[in-house]
Amino acid sequence: MSEAAPRRRLDAGLAAAAAAGIIVVLAALVSLTGAFDAGLALNIDARLAAPSAAHWFGTDPLGRDVLAMIAAGARVSLGVSLGAVAIGVGAGVPLGLVAAVLGGVGDEAVARFNDLVFAMPSLLLAVLLAATMGPGPANAVIALGVFNVPVFARLARAGARTLLARDFVLAARVAGKGRLRIALEHLLPNLTGLLIVQATIQLALGIAAEAGLSYVGLGAQPPAPSWGRMLNDAQTLTAIAPWLAWCPGIALSVTVLALSVLGERLRDVFDPRARR
Amino acid sequence: MTGRPVGRGWRPGAALLATALLAAVLLPARSAGAAPSATSRNDAAITLGMALEPPNLDPTKSAAEATEDVVYCNLFEGLTRIAEDGSVVPALARAWTISADGLTYRFQLHSGVRFHDGTPLTALDAKYSLDRARAAGSTNPLHDLLVAVKSVDVDGELDLRIELARPVADLLTYLGWGNLVIMSPLTSARAATAPVGTGPFRFKEWRKGDAIVLDRNDDYWGPRARLRRVTFRIVPDSSTSLAALRAGDVDGFENFPSPENIAALAKDPRFAVVVGSTEGETLLAINNARAPFNDLRVRRALSHAIDRTAIIKGAMYGYGQPIGSHFPPHHPAYIDLTGRYPYDPAVARALLAEAGYPHGFAVTLKLPPPYYARRSGEIIAAELATVGIRVTLQNVEWAQWLDQVFKNRDFDLTVVSHTESLDYDIYARPGYYFGYSNPAYSALLERLSRDRDPLERRQMLGEVQRMLADDAVNVFLFELPKLGVWRADLHGLWREAPVQGMDVTRAWLDAPAAAGMHDRSRSLPALLLAAAGLAAAALGGLALSRHVSPTYIAGRLGSLALTLLLASAVIFVLVEILPGDPAAYMMGLNASPDAVAHLRADYGLDVPPLQQYWAWLAGVVRGDLGLSYTYRVPVAGLVAERLAVSVPLAVYALVLAVLLAFPLGLAAAARAGTRTDATLMGLAQVGLAVPNFWLGILLILLFAVQLHWFAAGGFPGWDAGIGAALGALTLPAIALAVPQGCILARVLRASLGEALREDYVRTARAKGLSGGQALWRHALPNALIPVLTVVGLQFSFLLAGAILVETVFSLPGIGRLIFQATTQRDLIVVRSVVLLLVAAVVVVNFLVELSYAVVDPRLHQRSGA
Repeated sequence: MSEAAPRRRLDAGLAAAAAAGIIVVLAALVSLTGAFDAGLALNIDARLAAPSAAHWFGTDPLGRDVLAMIAAGARVSLGVSLGAVAIGVGAGVPLGLVAAVLGGVGDEAVARFNDLVFAMPSLLLAVLLAATMGPGPANAVIALGVFNVPVFARLARAGARTLLARDFVLAARVAGKGRLRIALEHLLPNLTGLLIVQATIQLALGIAAEAGLSYVGLGAQPPAPSWGRMLNDAQTLTAIAPWLAWCPGIALSVTVLALSVLGERLRDVFDPRARR
Repeated sequence: MTGRPVGRGWRPGAALLATALLAAVLLPARSAGAAPSATSRNDAAITLGMALEPPNLDPTKSAAEATEDVVYCNLFEGLTRIAEDGSVVPALARAWTISADGLTYRFQLHSGVRFHDGTPLTALDAKYSLDRARAAGSTNPLHDLLVAVKSVDVDGELDLRIELARPVADLLTYLGWGNLVIMSPLTSARAATAPVGTGPFRFKEWRKGDAIVLDRNDDYWGPRARLRRVTFRIVPDSSTSLAALRAGDVDGFENFPSPENIAALAKDPRFAVVVGSTEGETLLAINNARAPFNDLRVRRALSHAIDRTAIIKGAMYGYGQPIGSHFPPHHPAYIDLTGRYPYDPAVARALLAEAGYPHGFAVTLKLPPPYYARRSGEIIAAELATVGIRVTLQNVEWAQWLDQVFKNRDFDLTVVSHTESLDYDIYARPGYYFGYSNPAYSALLERLSRDRDPLERRQMLGEVQRMLADDAVNVFLFELPKLGVWRADLHGLWREAPVQGMDVTRAWLDAPAAAGMHDRSRSLPALLLAAAGLAAAALGGLALSRHVSPTYIAGRLGSLALTLLLASAVIFVLVEILPGDPAAYMMGLNASPDAVAHLRADYGLDVPPLQQYWAWLAGVVRGDLGLSYTYRVPVAGLVAERLAVSVPLAVYALVLAVLLAFPLGLAAAARAGTRTDATLMGLAQVGLAVPNFWLGILLILLFAVQLHWFAAGGFPGWDAGIGAALGALTLPAIALAVPQGCILARVLRASLGEALREDYVRTARAKGLSGGQALWRHALPNALIPVLTVVGLQFSFLLAGAILVETVFSLPGIGRLIFQATTQRDLIVVRSVVLLLVAAVVVVNFLVELSYAVVDPRLHQRSGA
């Protein structure tokens, strides 16, 4: 197989993705320090300024700097998505491991639960949940996190089941280790790679979903900027201020792209069998 | 995956069916365009956009402004009516006399007036309507204003007499408002969904979530309307309103929800921009009963801290007149009090310190959906921050606003526009949400209601304004403007809005109308299409099942049923805890608690939850999904209407996704390992990272706003012709299809790559087949199986997950239905539709699993694994 050429090219893509990802993370971190706060202050006389040296990405209808808003929005996007992944890992992995180790009724129950949540139209239910609990970033984390639980539960369960047949598990069992200890000491460490890959992918999906929620007004609430709401606000202004529609959308797409490229590259590393 | 080539995996019949479907979807797209309709100048049809959909069409039952916008004067008429200048003029009553003591009103009705169902109007109908409005337990929003009415009597076929217990100076005005229109006892019960009035337009149809259509009443008793048809189209997002207007989806907005675009529209010769005023006093409303706002100094500090001109400039782009009290500037008795509390943060800080808050305090500002509220809120928060008041903004939907703020008075601050005309009496209502109570003010209103001397009244109205300003009850921001924008050749719409309503009775179009679009009745064909699709799926399942053991199917069916039951329980619990009170939402702003309780009983909302759950399940099993709380029509019908959009959209998007994925995937696989492969798959990776709603926005920008190739949003219905309907679905389908197609392409590429490395492909190559032949004849059939699985999953995703794209394009699809129903707390709709969608996903998964079992019979033998 002549894999060499595309592999290098993929690495170039990876480098670009990593660079983009780093920029977004940096922007989020810098916005934490308050460096962008001046740009977030209302300045109605300076509104709807086109991109310029003073405002790289222009200003919004209330005169805020779009670059500052995107940086602050990155913080929200990453925060919500990380939180949702944390819920998924925190609840899903123990659930999947326990199911795999115990087998029987518990296993069946976890499988049914997974099927149930997978059958739910996730975006719609996230909207429903966020609307129910009241809009806001904390509730967005929960609404998105719930749908990460079965993803990780299923992954942990499947991974653990293949590992259970391996020799080192048998050895541990012969050594008299309990089921839960085996799960913790032998199964979990061997699943880490798979979990990291999946977490990266879910992070990308979560960022897109968070933008969707805030697009319909259920994500972070004003005045905290968020990419989805910026896009919604931009829609009436496409004719006057097209940069308002372009900039957050590009930031969003680049972030999602960077994370998904990263996820695939990690899969190549951790799961060599999945390589072409 | 097994390496065995599958002969029966790809059936010629299935291929034919797919081709036929493709042809059906794609072929008529251009051929059946809009038929030219040469309508004469007095016989045009127009489409007007409106932001909020009415919850129902009975203005005598609820205070929903959107209801009156559609039916007032167009469909229903009262004894009197309000003219554009705010004066009271005769309507169904051609004349009246008032006794000297102001206690007896005698009305003579017009003769020859007929309701739309043909029954003649008599004084009995008027008596019936007024008695119904003032009866105990009536949900009429004006109920409280009619308590002074002692009796309504019929003196002759066309003679009506109203006796009052005490003089009511504004009685003739009240009788001209939309809540006191005259209905017939024969039809009033159906008014919510099939209103029958006496007006120049009659009800034609209501496509939920999309449009309400009125047709001219050719038997009208007065001068006939000049327009043949008026369609009120719901354009829920102010973000799509401009595109809808420019794309010609609507001919105008009585009140355009996007002031930032008014300046550009005014320069556009295609449109007339007519800026007037409403009766809407826009307030930063304050909870006067709650500390620290029970301190006058704090309220005055707020008034000093707010810069009205900044809000009018920033949120309203300069439209809207500043006000200093609760009174419209265009009224003759208006006095300018905007200088009462000049903008001065230093004074505000001093007042706060004096009141004991030198370092300010923290409050929550709840903001309902209208754009003026949300935008003002951000500016107000920033302004209050400069005087030390830390504001948390909380966006709420109307249902929550009514429930939390209006009903339960659980708020600190809110921004809202009070659009009822001359509603200064709300400040004297006990228990009103402002929490304001001042005996002197109540006494003043009492005197005002008895006095009919114009000069004295004017003086007292001045007193009213001054007292409210002195007490700084609220921060009075601006009079909500009426931003009329419509086609330059459309005339006769109102500049001002002295009463809630959008009068189209005198409107006409100059030119022969090319806008006779959107003529259609019901969308049956689409329903038939959907049914045919389901039947085909079921038949396919049956055909497959011949290869699968019955026990396996039974087992899977059992677990399917169990999943659905579990899902129903989860959904019910989820939906039951939705905060908010549907009854309060439906009743609108000025409903009495009594009336709300009545309605709750009517809809079975007072029964224990478990009982409600069983009743619901039993109904679902029977196919009866109940009655929508807000629309008051069967949910099954609503769902059918929405599926007629969502199912074709999902199919259309899936077809496009497949058309994108196959060339991409095959081209990449044919050149596996080359630069082309990497480039194509890199492109696919970019494509799937683009969020579909952003893609939708960009598509609108390019194809609707710049190029005018497609409509910017909205759905004309299938009766407008398949071409027009598919045209409206094209951009949304593309937005949905690109990310899905890219996913599919990558699955296809990966699956082909795997198949190409299998031994049988090598064997085929060794036997002398070219790479292309091996790909087509051996690798592709095997690679299709995972692809078909993904296609199945994508169909259910597209059906349920199109909510964002539906929002971008204002499509009345199933996702929007759930979103609207959620925000309106229409529990019945939410739970049934979510369950339906879950069922759809589960059934598709089931079919996919069955097809797996068919392909690989070993699977069902170890089904427990």
